[in-house]
Amino acid sequence: MPMHPQILRDFDPHCVQDEPPACQTQCPLHLDARGLAGLMAEGKLKEARKIIDRYLPLNGLTAYLCEGPCGRHCRRSELDQGVDVPLLERVCVAQTQAARLMPLPRSGQAVAVFGAGLSSLTLAWELGKKGHQVTIYHTGPAGGRLVGHPGLPAQAWLETLEWLDKLRVVFEEVAFSPAALAEARAGSQSVYLGFDDPALTPELLGLSAAEAEVSPVSLLTSQDKILAAPFHPGPPRFVDELAAGKRAAGSIDRLLQGVSPEVARVAEETYPSRLYTSLADIPVKSTQPPADPWVPTLAEAQAEAQRCLPCQCLECVKQCVYLQHYLTFPKKAAREIFNNISTALGNRTSNILALSCAECGLCREICPGQADTGQFVHQARQEMVYGRHMPISAHEFALEDMAFINSPEFSFFRHQPGRETSAYLFFPGCQLPASLPVATESVYSHLQNHLEGGVGFALACCGAPARWAARPKLTTRMVETVRGLWASAGQPRVILACASCAVFFQAELPEIPVETLWNVLAALPRPAGAAAGEVLAIHDPCAARHDQATQASVRELAQKISQPLEELHFSGQLARCCGYGGLAAAANPALGAQFAQKRLGDTDKPLLAYCIMCRDRLRREGRPTVHLLDLMFPGQPPAEAAQRPAPGLSDRQEGRRRFRDNLLKKLWGEEPPLATEMENIIINIPEEVAARLETRRILRSDIQRVLLDARERGPIFSHPGSGRQLAGLRPRQVTYWVEYSLCPDGSYDIHDAYCHRMVVPGIPGEGRDSVSVAEGFNPEGGRA
Amino acid sequence: MTLATNQLPEIDVEGWVCRKCGQPLKVSLVAVTYMGSSFEVELPGCPNCGFTFIPPVLADGKMLEVEKMLEDK
Repeated sequence: MPMHPQILRDFDPHCVQDEPPACQTQCPLHLDARGLAGLMAEGKLKEARKIIDRYLPLNGLTAYLCEGPCGRHCRRSELDQGVDVPLLERVCVAQTQAARLMPLPRSGQAVAVFGAGLSSLTLAWELGKKGHQVTIYHTGPAGGRLVGHPGLPAQAWLETLEWLDKLRVVFEEVAFSPAALAEARAGSQSVYLGFDDPALTPELLGLSAAEAEVSPVSLLTSQDKILAAPFHPGPPRFVDELAAGKRAAGSIDRLLQGVSPEVARVAEETYPSRLYTSLADIPVKSTQPPADPWVPTLAEAQAEAQRCLPCQCLECVKQCVYLQHYLTFPKKAAREIFNNISTALGNRTSNILALSCAECGLCREICPGQADTGQFVHQARQEMVYGRHMPISAHEFALEDMAFINSPEFSFFRHQPGRETSAYLFFPGCQLPASLPVATESVYSHLQNHLEGGVGFALACCGAPARWAARPKLTTRMVETVRGLWASAGQPRVILACASCAVFFQAELPEIPVETLWNVLAALPRPAGAAAGEVLAIHDPCAARHDQATQASVRELAQKISQPLEELHFSGQLARCCGYGGLAAAANPALGAQFAQKRLGDTDKPLLAYCIMCRDRLRREGRPTVHLLDLMFPGQPPAEAAQRPAPGLSDRQEGRRRFRDNLLKKLWGEEPPLATEMENIIINIPEEVAARLETRRILRSDIQRVLLDARERGPIFSHPGSGRQLAGLRPRQVTYWVEYSLCPDGSYDIHDAYCHRMVVPGIPGEGRDSVSVAEGFNPEGGRA
Repeated sequence: MTLATNQLPEIDVEGWVCRKCGQPLKVSLVAVTYMGSSFEVELPGCPNCGFTFIPPVLADGKMLEVEKMLEDK
């Protein structure tokens, strides 16, 4: 199923990076001056000449004539002086050969031109190349205002006339008169009146001023077949004459082809550029006038060309490791993602591009056009899911984890011990209890002690991962779980510890009244044991970028416990993502790490986070980082807490279970379920194997499951020489292999464990999992 | 589709035997499936019991590569 083009059309205009710069939009000839300057700066004269030949008529003669109106619009003119583009042109033209003229075969169409000024010569040049027969009627020397121009080398002028001769342009001296006009009109398809030749006036041809007036779009007069140079107020400019000749030539060519000369010519106008370019950090670099302005040297031209900024936006790219990694900018990425989804046959090689964005929204905050790449990417992911082209493995681990947390066997709600009702429901989310169990318990106790009406407790995942993965059915299932817990609590006000939960509740569960933990804590007394440490740079989570109240509460809490803070430029509304957002790190772990590293580049101080995923990800990349609860309810001194390693995947899962069992026992006197036979399997994993398991996303419980099966069924292969065994099992859509030795004490030494998703013959197991089932994937048969 | 064995990494099966029947492993052509695609690959396994032997170098390398390719199809 292709993505709807309207989604791309809606997004496109927001990103201005590929808009032409002001020098080009304000040039009557639309010269790519930025491209020219770039090549000239590098001394690539031949390539630069190609740009001149493409945009400028008359074999580079323009270089000596153009007044350079671009200079006034050049962004550098706001700092010092605009780049002198005609100077670059002059050096390029003088030192290179023009491209060979390749006129089209004769068309048999005749065009008469009156006056031999610059517009007439330009028109003759343009139409001659198209194979039309152009005759220029003039009085006195050809060239109009060019005659006697101080900067025009005689040689260049002669060469231009030679080129025109090669284009079979005929010059004919004539006395301008109504009869001459009538004769020319009768013998040609169109007539152009080049009034920029001072020798030619409407009166001489028997035309009134009104009859010589032109349509600004086509330059057609009210007289049949007659076009004319427009009248410009103020002193005449060569560049306008060149543009008039080019525009009239375009009209005549359209007329000869039977196309309207009036429509779709907006691009030929001059207009303000939409391209945003920041001038911050651009040093002043004044122009150095050349010794001889008409014959500048290459060195002088290169120095001038190097003054070009060059204009480009890339404001978001400067801050986004995702866009940097893929060497792209939002509009380009959007097109690639769109095309990728619309692929009918062949591989969708850009899936990873749509899956690696953190959807953090920083780009939108920075973008002068408010382009929201995250939102576009999210729509793309939805289309991928609807079209059944979402790669299963990208988010599966995170979604399986989420589905397990919210299973009826794991998630729970309890009223505050000793109470039958709850005025509040503390919802710490799925990761805080897993990573910071003691502080989670402490803050719950603090809330119970200071809030009236009972504070219930719910352990569940809000469902944000399902939303990031753009899985609608799973999202609905998660929302129903959370709504069910809230309903059984008596619909109290929910206290959220996680910024992503807050965003998710607002979007998916708007009927539930919520407050962030930090806003609640800010109104309560300072916890007795709170401890402060050295200066910490505060890191706001990207999910809280629009939650100013929470940002303020967190700072107030830090102040209350006398914790000195360093504020980073990219905080608050401009908060950076740690890489967890949008499941970027799940789909693209290496890039996910770069998000965190980018944040670490903002400061060399230890960090203070109030989102546990941010804390753990920043810590994992090597920076001491504390969570605000580490300071408010310390289980260890702040400096030690900052060094606490980030838990691995298995630690997280096991920590969450331990937290659940401990809390239920301690507060509600509920005995945890007896450990299952599987959980009683003791495994010994050397550190280097554990690191590989983390990368392969294999949990200790996955290994236990394989070993339990091997206990009953026996391993598949054995290695009598070493005593090692190899067991394989496919409990879900992944086949796990465990190479192990059985120890005398009944535990297992794990030598390696690895997995693959392909199905190979002979491996036992069901091969189905909850995510695939919920979303309608047929595990073995691909897309259902 | 048949992947030639020379496209696969060296698989060291020295010393491994099928635990059930004790047979040393032998390379044979087996059917591998994923995402609705099926193809035949030469892989070691038990010639009697039909179990396939996958070493880590294959799971982390070629198999992962082909899995990603098929998921992007």
